[in-house]
Amino acid sequence: MLKDILKKKVDSKGEEARGLFVFQEAGQAIRAEKTLKKAGFKVRLMAPPPHIRTGCDLVVAFDLIEQTVMTRELEESGNPPLNIVPVSDETTSPLELCRVKDFGGYLMVRAANMKITVEKGNLKIVNISGGGCPDVPYLADRMIGKTLNECEGPAQIGFSLCAYTLNVAYEEIRHLLGGAEA
Amino acid sequence: MINKVDARGLSCPQPVVLTRNKMKELGRGTFEVIVDTGTSRDNISRLAEHEGWKIECKEEGDEFILTLKK
Repeated sequence: MLKDILKKKVDSKGEEARGLFVFQEAGQAIRAEKTLKKAGFKVRLMAPPPHIRTGCDLVVAFDLIEQTVMTRELEESGNPPLNIVPVSDETTSPLELCRVKDFGGYLMVRAANMKITVEKGNLKIVNISGGGCPDVPYLADRMIGKTLNECEGPAQIGFSLCAYTLNVAYEEIRHLLGGAEA
Repeated sequence: MINKVDARGLSCPQPVVLTRNKMKELGRGTFEVIVDTGTSRDNISRLAEHEGWKIECKEEGDEFILTLKK
């Protein structure tokens, strides 16, 4: 019987079926991702598909097979999800948080509403923009003019939701342009 | 004749990219950048400061004329 249950949670491509933890606020989704990662689960922050948006522009994607134990972990941490949505088709698939745009000699990565632009030739950060948190100008001032290898990540120097989402973009652009490993 | 970059109507980060390209092309000297949002003005000002260019900003109606010197 257990085998049947597990089998149902594997889709036709042989991949583990996924689910989404939905929260009221982005901060709760970020906290849930940290809690679950710390507990050893493989989870990922993503953008929700349009029809399940709650005002929070982040969801936590997870392997459906571990739903019960992960839900319990979140409840025990005092941060239960508002809703749990199985990813059944394209309409319920979460969206990648990062979008990449190539400007020739420059690459821009956008995560949610935060953008980072880097000069490809020397990995120098030329622009940080977006967001509405009060630490964005501070983050921009600390990062612009430095290379990806020189500057600290936004998560080390800022504490807002904007700093967190900028950090997602920062990690992605480092990955794409081959900056030093995080 | 002064070098000009017209970045009106362009969204972030394009005004910064055009400005950075002009900085690299000239190396030093004077040029103007015309933008039509406060965000572009702020982003270009931040870049200029970090790259050692002096910047002056003049507001004309809905536009900002930034003069960069090095």
